[in-house]
Amino acid sequence: MAKGPWSILGAAVPSQEPEAIQRRYRNSFLALAAIFGPLAVIVIGIQLKYGDISLVYQKVFESLTALGLKKGLPIWVPAAVALLIPCVLIATLFHAAPLVLVWWEQKIAAHVQIRMGPMRVGRFHGILQTVADGIKLLLKEDIVPAGADKWVHLLAPVVVVVPAYVAYAPLTFGRGLVGTDLDTGTLFVMAVSGLSTIGLLMAGWGSNNKYSALGGLRAAAQVVSYEIPRVISLLPVVMWAGTLSLSGIAQAQEGLWAGFLPRWFIFYPFVGQVAYLIFLICTVAETNRVPFDIAEAESELVSGFNTEYSGMKFALFFMAEYAYVFLGAAVGTALFFGGGAAPWRFLNFIPSYVWFFGKTCAQVFFIILFRWTYPRMRVDRLMEFCWKFLLPWSLVNVAVAGALILWRMR
Amino acid sequence: MTIQNAVFILLAFMTLVPAALVVTVKNVFHGALFLVLSLTGVAGLFAMIGADFLFVAQILVYAGDILILLLFVVLLSGSPKDWATRSVNEQWMPAIVVSAAFTALLAVLLKALPASPAVPSAAPTTSALGFLLLRDMLVPFEAVSLVLLASLVGAVHFSSKKGDR
Repeated sequence: MAKGPWSILGAAVPSQEPEAIQRRYRNSFLALAAIFGPLAVIVIGIQLKYGDISLVYQKVFESLTALGLKKGLPIWVPAAVALLIPCVLIATLFHAAPLVLVWWEQKIAAHVQIRMGPMRVGRFHGILQTVADGIKLLLKEDIVPAGADKWVHLLAPVVVVVPAYVAYAPLTFGRGLVGTDLDTGTLFVMAVSGLSTIGLLMAGWGSNNKYSALGGLRAAAQVVSYEIPRVISLLPVVMWAGTLSLSGIAQAQEGLWAGFLPRWFIFYPFVGQVAYLIFLICTVAETNRVPFDIAEAESELVSGFNTEYSGMKFALFFMAEYAYVFLGAAVGTALFFGGGAAPWRFLNFIPSYVWFFGKTCAQVFFIILFRWTYPRMRVDRLMEFCWKFLLPWSLVNVAVAGALILWRMR
Repeated sequence: MTIQNAVFILLAFMTLVPAALVVTVKNVFHGALFLVLSLTGVAGLFAMIGADFLFVAQILVYAGDILILLLFVVLLSGSPKDWATRSVNEQWMPAIVVSAAFTALLAVLLKALPASPAVPSAAPTTSALGFLLLRDMLVPFEAVSLVLLASLVGAVHFSSKKGDR
């Protein structure tokens, strides 16, 4: 086998003979089974032996408290350690999600366009391609344009990324797995993720480049407009559940209709489907992805607000984008698909966080698929679509939800 | 010094220092960015006294959308000379006198209040606010929204060209 440039990461140029290809397919399935088989056994084993993961976490916290008190430490030390655990988990997820999603996006794009996509780095279907890309981006020179506003140019990626971190705080990753169970969780996610737009405007202005400025302006106009139908589309869910807390809304969807249909909000007649459709469209628009990527629009604006960015600063914008894709899908899971609950009781042996990630990844798949199937919308049509179509229908949806609630109360 | 006091002092600096910079920096765009920081500090103060809904509303409405619109206006209507002029004009002297008088008045008023700060309650405020706005105070609430509607209609009326009317 010939060695490729990435042979240091285990890459090799595979041979193209039919038997070799067949062998590679067989090996791929075997590798998948070897990775996911033991993982599934461990995950389900923990679930069956110790019960829910939140119970395990509680036990860990209790033993930590007991140990801390025995050593004479003040009471806030174990509390801080216990708070550190979800923080580290969320930070890890935040960094791992783009790593996986970028590779996934490359693969989906390739398969939509009938090619293979990355196949070499990491031996198994280019699984380490994103790692190689990340190393490359870290090693790139950090270029600041001569006429740029240095501080604004430097801080723009930071302002984009930090709210993305913070917005993960009230997310419920399954039963009892939550950073801070805020009572205003839904609104908090919407509010904090809106702050990232300021970073896009800073990038547009600080780069001192007309393409960047136009991209930043377009991004801001688009995000501010689409935020309104997005929040209003969630109102029916909040009205039915009677709470803004993400875990509370997930709990409100427990139970079955007619013995077989889960009481997830997506299955509520008319209101649920319309609300979810508007929410999904607005989520794609908020992340500035195709078909709503006029802020980047390679054919018009070079690359929009990130034209003048290189290296890790450029990567930070993309980290935030993929973090928001995952966050949008996760909010959709919590609000419309029952959070981490299994659809039927006999499936309860699969832990709640597996359900949560499964449902979320299914939505992420569709969000990525949209990017490779739809053409870009024109700027004025984009705004018309938001203000003249999505906003009125989301308001109608709220009215219908109110009528349904009144009818149920009769 | 308790943790609460330390956080309060930190938030107070985060609110006041950028607020002063908003009016002293020469660059309009930088001023708008400092305003974001200042308003976020106010949101933090809301969170400290346990007003969770106000905290989120402050971030969503002020630090988020209104400031984005403000930056938008700066980018669209600003000319290069706006990025290097003082935002203080020659009337800064009377302005300082008026603000000092106002601060003194506030200090007198503050003395009438209890010395200890309000005890932060962990209880969520959203539903209480909802009942207050949509049941007990429904008529004033709707009247305020009518005023907003009137201003919207007025803005459309005055911004449309003669031929469109």
